[in-house]
Amino acid sequence: MDINYVGEQLLPGKIGQFFVILSFGAALFSLISYFFATNNPDEKSWKKMGRIGFILNAISVVTIGSLLFYMIYNHMFEYYYVWSHSDTSLPTHYIISSFWEGQEGSFWLWMFWQMVIGIVLLFRAKTWEAPVMTFVMLCQTFLASMLIGIEIFGSRIGSSPFILLRDAMDAPIFKDPNYLSMIDGKGLNALLQNYWMVIHPPTLFLGFASMIVPFAYAAAGLWTRRYKEWTNPGLPWALFAVMILGAGIIMGSFWAYEALNFGGFWAWDPVENVSIIPWFTLIAAVHVILAFKHSGHGYFTATLLSLVSFVLVIYASYLTRSGILGETSVHSFTSLGMSGQLIIFNITFLFVMIGLLIWRRKELPSTQKEEEIYSREFWLFIGALVLTVACVQMIATTSIPVFNGLFGTKVAPPIDPIAHYNKWQGAFAVVILLLTAIAQFLKYKRTDGRKFWASTIASLIVSIVLAAGAIYLTKTYTNVMYILIMFTGIFCIVANVRILSDAVKGKWKLTGSAVSHIGFGLLVIGALVAAATNEVISVNQSGYIGVKNFGKEGDKFTDPGENLFLTEGEPVQMGEYRITYTGDSVAAPNVYYHIKYEKIDEESGKVKESFVLSPFAQNNPDMGGLIGTPDTRHYITHDIYTLITAAAADSHAPLSKIKEEEKTGFEEYDEPATYEVNIGDTLRYRNGIFVIEGVNKEAKLENIPLKADDIIVGLKIKVIASDQKEFNAEPVFLLKDGNVFDFNKDVAEQGLKFRFTNIIPDKDKLEIMVYQKPLPEKKWIVFKAIKFPYINFFWAGTIIMTIGFIMAIVRRVREGKSKEQIVD
Amino acid sequence: MKKSSIILIAIIAIAIAMILVIYTDSSTYSTFAEAKEKNTELYVVGVLNKEKDLFYDPVQDANHFSFYMYDNDSTECKVVFNGSKPQDIERSEQIVLTGKMEGDTFHATKILMKCPSKYNKDEMEFKEATSASL
Repeated sequence: MDINYVGEQLLPGKIGQFFVILSFGAALFSLISYFFATNNPDEKSWKKMGRIGFILNAISVVTIGSLLFYMIYNHMFEYYYVWSHSDTSLPTHYIISSFWEGQEGSFWLWMFWQMVIGIVLLFRAKTWEAPVMTFVMLCQTFLASMLIGIEIFGSRIGSSPFILLRDAMDAPIFKDPNYLSMIDGKGLNALLQNYWMVIHPPTLFLGFASMIVPFAYAAAGLWTRRYKEWTNPGLPWALFAVMILGAGIIMGSFWAYEALNFGGFWAWDPVENVSIIPWFTLIAAVHVILAFKHSGHGYFTATLLSLVSFVLVIYASYLTRSGILGETSVHSFTSLGMSGQLIIFNITFLFVMIGLLIWRRKELPSTQKEEEIYSREFWLFIGALVLTVACVQMIATTSIPVFNGLFGTKVAPPIDPIAHYNKWQGAFAVVILLLTAIAQFLKYKRTDGRKFWASTIASLIVSIVLAAGAIYLTKTYTNVMYILIMFTGIFCIVANVRILSDAVKGKWKLTGSAVSHIGFGLLVIGALVAAATNEVISVNQSGYIGVKNFGKEGDKFTDPGENLFLTEGEPVQMGEYRITYTGDSVAAPNVYYHIKYEKIDEESGKVKESFVLSPFAQNNPDMGGLIGTPDTRHYITHDIYTLITAAAADSHAPLSKIKEEEKTGFEEYDEPATYEVNIGDTLRYRNGIFVIEGVNKEAKLENIPLKADDIIVGLKIKVIASDQKEFNAEPVFLLKDGNVFDFNKDVAEQGLKFRFTNIIPDKDKLEIMVYQKPLPEKKWIVFKAIKFPYINFFWAGTIIMTIGFIMAIVRRVREGKSKEQIVD
Repeated sequence: MKKSSIILIAIIAIAIAMILVIYTDSSTYSTFAEAKEKNTELYVVGVLNKEKDLFYDPVQDANHFSFYMYDNDSTECKVVFNGSKPQDIERSEQIVLTGKMEGDTFHATKILMKCPSKYNKDEMEFKEATSASL
């Protein structure tokens, strides 16, 4: 039976689906045309057709994105994607984040960037256009296929963002033609509602997308036998990809630090690892390309590393999108059943790489000359290999679930992944930093050994002195590895500062590399100090009550825990700070918990410094309870990071579980106390006293007409709270037609309710009943605070490194142009 | 033979040695019974015993949370977690614990939970909680 659904807008989805198919078809058409354009360079029409296909694909990609935005903006929950990743309360500026919460949206983002890169290539690649665009369009075709969402021969190809909610799910609500008016979207994950999440994914994806270009140039060089030439246009692109991907990764790290609750900036999560692996290999590629350009050595390595970097990008996307990491990673995408398609994508590029290298293996340029040990290219080559080995380590550990899947084994990843990775990568970092320092003193081809040693030893001595100071200052002397990293990091900075000072004297060429290496050195030092010496400062110091069950001396479980319990308004001393939980405030859907930090001068007792941190939490049962977001106080030398780990439930959950009509008005009160009193009596209650002041025989009740023989009496009660505030209440007793009624009165501020229940003439007493609310449970929170020293080096290093990359790109683009002119 | 070739071979050898070492670092998914025997840190996979009470009283100790869990052999064991109670553990369908056995209680340093997604039965959510670094 067909149902006529009310309010659905089917047109945008139909248009969208059309453009999804068109983008795939156009990409495929462009791929084929460019392929033949490369093989028949004399026939200009092939290239023209390739361009037409590309432009059609570009139009489709832009249209898909605009439609998706339009649908989310207008809350068209008839579409599954819109329903899954947004809701009506989503602020407009986070609409864009809905794009990358789902796989479809993030594939679109990748396609979009690749399209932008394609436009640049169309204008700038000149003779390289056809072969390079062949590979770009091959990738674009695969990406477009991820969005098709049509079943072919029983298996679904891709997943379309334009699928309808009622097609995606089977639920009884869809029997109702009016279902749309009853639903709201699932909403965007609270963690993604962060401004860093608006900028981090596009940057990261621009980095991933631009890695196709070095791949395409290297592959095109092999294909068209322009072996040596590809490095000129390829190098600036490789530098660009490295710069953007590096910035994107660190932005993600900053987001994790600012918005996630694991208390750090890097966790060696598989998702982080797979983004850093291609970054490492492409950095290695950049260095070997340089070695090749200057010495003719290392052509094969340069090409292989450029090619493999993009294959690893696809592998990364397979790991994060296929759901295979489920047991080891907390923030990978859930599976959309596309792992087969992703595997084909991956294998295709792997085969292209291997095939081209085997096909041209006999023609690859090589030199028979032996490398000099005193030459820069030799050490660049070694550095690249060390980076590659570092990648092998990360791939091996991260891929454990893949090996389990392939061989049916049940190996579990290391118990403590952070320690495991730090152990390995720390050692690699030492070697890499050492190489970045000494390689700068070497020249290409042949270096004068004496000169080299003179400048190296001079820098070495300066570095040892500086490192000793820095290690003492940052207290990193506890571990040999920390000392080594700190020393080599400073050596790297000192050596490159020296090169930079030469640059100021006129040797401008190495400025970019010197600056980016200084940035890298700072980044590693910042990461080391912040990760190695961060201390939890929310340690309970006021006579910690050990957990009784296992109170053995020296047992690690009786050590003070890292979560501190705070009651509202009760200050606690925490290290050098006096902290007070001052209350909370609600800005739906978030609850902000305000924690006041005060530094007290010991002698005068005055407050030296005071600030409030307001970490917040979102209680979203649909997203799985309380999601805490930290708040951080930034100083130049350290950060104070604060996160809520638990809070009193009443500020989140509504109290009343009793249905409105069954309410008696007394549920919130304790069992009442009954007193027989006289005028003038004073009685106690929890928070003060109350006085029976007198009776009011003139009491009146609205809406109740009284007869002559009815008796109505009010009882005047004055409540005096412990803070001397006074309140008056007058409960009423009524005898009407022989029946007894009483009308209670509240003193809401004090949680009191009075009933005047009887008049006992025999005893000359008045009977009252007093209801008291239980004392309100004080609000409390459990929180964790961590001090991260010198973390600003980490962020500053990243910025400096990026600036260095920009300088290097400018230089290489200029060089590339001047070479073209010579060729012309 | 060229120097670079020698170094290349040396580095490949190092890489292979490294991978072997990595796999000695790796762990296995085991049961409470095995945890009792081995007395080292390992993973235990199981389900929460929803019949018994979860204990977390932050007023008394904000860093003590305990519950009962069945492992894959259906052995029940008390688990103590040195941290605050992970949100939503009641809803979990599967729990992966990291930690070691001490006496008759399992001391967890990390809890990874699989929770059923509210909307889609085929979809799972993963959550992780880490205790005080010990």
